[in-house]
Amino acid sequence: MKKVRILSLLSVTALVTTVLVTAPTVANAAPMCDGKSPIQSCVGVTSDGAPYAMQVPANFNGTVALYSHGYRYNVDIPAGIPLIGGYKITNTPEPVPGGNAEVAKYFFSQGIAIVGSGFARQGWNPDSAIKTNVELIDTFKKQFPKTTKVVAWGSSLGGVITQGLAEKHPELVSAVAPMCMADNVSAELTMAGDFLWGIKVLFDPTIKAGNYSAGAAGVAESYGDLVKVFTVMGKLQASLTTGAWPDTSSATGKALAAAGIPSRSALLLLGLMAGLPTQSAHFDSISGPDGALKLTFPLAISPVLAILENGTNAAALAVLATQDVENQTGGAIFDNTKTDYSARVDAERVIFNAALSGNTAIDAMLGALSAANPGAPRAAGNAAAVAKMKALHQNTGKINVPTVLMVGVADPITPAGASQRLVDLYAEQYAAEKAAARKAYQASRDYKTPTNKLLMLWNTTPSNYTKFDAAGSPITSTAAAQGTNHCNFTSAQLVLVAKSLVQASSTGKLPSGGALYTAVRKAGNLSIDKGISVPWLKAYGDN
Amino acid sequence: MKALHRRKLLTATAVLAVFGLAATAIPAQAAEVGVTSTQIKLGMTLPMTGTASLGYNKIPGAAKAYFDYLNANGGINGRKVTLVVKDDRYVPTEAVAKTNELILKDKVMALLAPLGTANVKAVASSVNPGRRGVPVLFVNTGFSGFADAKKYPTTYTVLPSYIMEAKIMGQYIKENFAGKKIGLLYQDDDFGTDALAGFKTAGINFAVKVPYASGSQSAAAAAGWITKFKAAEADVVILFGVSSATSAMLGVAAQLKYAPQWMLGSVGGDATTIKLTGVPAGVLYNAIGFSPVPATTDMKDEYVKFFSDIYAKAVPGSAFDLNVLLGMNTAFMAAQALKAAGANPTRKSLLAAIDSKGATFANSALVPAAYSKTSHVGLTGYWVGKYSPAGDLSPVGGTYVSYTTDSGAGAVVKTTYKRPAMPAKGLPN
Repeated sequence: MKKVRILSLLSVTALVTTVLVTAPTVANAAPMCDGKSPIQSCVGVTSDGAPYAMQVPANFNGTVALYSHGYRYNVDIPAGIPLIGGYKITNTPEPVPGGNAEVAKYFFSQGIAIVGSGFARQGWNPDSAIKTNVELIDTFKKQFPKTTKVVAWGSSLGGVITQGLAEKHPELVSAVAPMCMADNVSAELTMAGDFLWGIKVLFDPTIKAGNYSAGAAGVAESYGDLVKVFTVMGKLQASLTTGAWPDTSSATGKALAAAGIPSRSALLLLGLMAGLPTQSAHFDSISGPDGALKLTFPLAISPVLAILENGTNAAALAVLATQDVENQTGGAIFDNTKTDYSARVDAERVIFNAALSGNTAIDAMLGALSAANPGAPRAAGNAAAVAKMKALHQNTGKINVPTVLMVGVADPITPAGASQRLVDLYAEQYAAEKAAARKAYQASRDYKTPTNKLLMLWNTTPSNYTKFDAAGSPITSTAAAQGTNHCNFTSAQLVLVAKSLVQASSTGKLPSGGALYTAVRKAGNLSIDKGISVPWLKAYGDN
Repeated sequence: MKALHRRKLLTATAVLAVFGLAATAIPAQAAEVGVTSTQIKLGMTLPMTGTASLGYNKIPGAAKAYFDYLNANGGINGRKVTLVVKDDRYVPTEAVAKTNELILKDKVMALLAPLGTANVKAVASSVNPGRRGVPVLFVNTGFSGFADAKKYPTTYTVLPSYIMEAKIMGQYIKENFAGKKIGLLYQDDDFGTDALAGFKTAGINFAVKVPYASGSQSAAAAAGWITKFKAAEADVVILFGVSSATSAMLGVAAQLKYAPQWMLGSVGGDATTIKLTGVPAGVLYNAIGFSPVPATTDMKDEYVKFFSDIYAKAVPGSAFDLNVLLGMNTAFMAAQALKAAGANPTRKSLLAAIDSKGATFANSALVPAAYSKTSHVGLTGYWVGKYSPAGDLSPVGGTYVSYTTDSGAGAVVKTTYKRPAMPAKGLPN
């Protein structure tokens, strides 16, 4: 078996928008505008201290697009930490996704203004961010009284914020687009926490994996965890072909190693337990190099490499977001004392049976990870902290205004299941609306078909995309495949979402029919097939 | 989570999977997906290349041979049946991708005989044919779970389940090898889980059970298996695995002159496939085998003769073996289902046709099918045979004695099933 090299485990690390705005310092003052044409730029700070930026074209038609950026770490990351070291907390305003010039150009061409803040607080912030956005909308309208419509969109955690805004204040927005939307805090951090817990109990029991100390001590502990997690992932990568276990493995892990179970099978099982995608930026779980590994690679190796790529992202999220939410709630928030990991992988164990080394190995691993094994101690949450976490903003999934969802089917950080949840809930909502319409018809004899308020854009993966060099080693220096990685959208796809928002805001209806078909095809790599269905995050299936 | 977006436009090399617009978003379709005034399109995924393809790669040719015959004789109400075949190499994730292509790009009306438990499960969970209403006709796996109509609402089995097979094997063991030490080689996944459940129901206690992880079978592994069977002094060794496992075992056993009483499960028991791997036919002599359909050498059987003649003309020089017979039999049943689905068949009417008439479809099997409005279970039993010196499976005692049972606790009984006669010209009525 050839040595497999992964050049970069963590593929998404940069956080800072390219929109450079001089941050003002006076909170809640009127925006400072430059008065320039054709694009007037304004900056300001909301009452909670969130810097914002507005850009308004000279032909402003009364519609403004409010963008909410995604999760930014709430702590600086020391330069010495691998992969993500050197990050500094920032609240630079981001009025369009990643400062995308093509998106801004499209809006301006339509006479639409753009606005966005950097939020006052980073980390898990929907509660404060939704309030910030409400204030920002009001500030914009006062500054530009011609404003008639607001469309809101956001990425990742910004998707949660956007959906939350539409649920709490549908009167403020005429259309919304949560993109690569995160799930609610509990489901999201359960996914990441399950994976991190598994890494800890099998591969390095000195990883703290939550229940961090308060304040600076806790931050330091999280730094320590990041280093340990990345180190373990590196060791697992290095021993992928031999199946050797890291020297830091727990007694439970060593017992599994002694039973002949390769570490790669254990890593894959952890990914499946957590619900991580088995396709990643460079590994499709389909392709194999020519030669002896043509079949073995996709069956036994590629899914593990996919988990290695995706899991590294998940573990980093688990450490930093858990530390942040624990800070907000006052105690440990991850609790797997009642999680049935065996049930979690019931559907997947046969599909990935070869990579998991067969049922006997799977049962041995699940037995080792069961609550009955004191060698793999479960994490108990702090009841008060868990209650506080559940009291943080939660989206119900109610669709109040025309809504466009877009997500990669193999997004490792905000799994597509978060969007699927809204799709499924809306199906129930729409069925209820139709039932109500039928009931109303019996009284009025005037049947009014409820208007569809949801458009789901799936960013699909190519049929196969893993590339191999002449020696048969996988190539990981190429761009991440479509449908993989976090919020990995092209400008064309983002512009399609923007256009859909604009149409919905002006007509009250989402694009449909042949025009939608054509637009989707031109944007590339998107599907609106209603037959697509991905599983919800695993936490929703737990009893 | 991070908000960074790629600004670099990636080359759009992917399949543009933008085919299945919502019904509300496109003009009403004149006909069912995959059905035109001249054609009915079906799709199949299975291993056509790679180590797992041996034997299985004859199934599409067999099915096409029957469909070509059918089409030459008027098709289904004037529509020709076409079969789009995709190679999944026996990789579940590839089966998902290829099935997506069949449904979204090729726009098939139904999937026919997808092969492999893991692959069918992967497709069920990732492609969701049940949610889409896409029929999955006659899956090429005996995993009992696929008969669960609630979990797999559009999926129909055809092969008897592995549980049924193990129960019938168990009955045979109790009647013929009482007191002997029994060894079992099985695949360490749902395939093997079904087998273990069946043997347990049959009350069989094993002297030794040897699991192998799917994909790990090889000559080296087989040598290890033999060591375990020898150590347990197994008199009878059941090979309940895929052909490559059976072949590896028998090949190494021949070299080591290890010769217990072999008992071969139907999945890995096709003599033609085994012999293609270089295993001498003599190794199979007197081994016990099981099949739901007649012996492929039984030219007195009207179905075998009919299918064999068609196949010889369609694929000259290719041996008529169990994979071929099953492939043609499946195509024949699919044709009857399409015919029964009405003048303008839809996915719904196709499913309804199997529910209401599937149990009466003519086919070569010597055991009954159990299709009904509440059952997606196909064939329900086996006859027992022995391999000849040439490696051909023939019924013990020269006469077919078929047994039937279920995938639960039901008894194994000799069946009095009367197989329907071949319809005129082998065409659906």
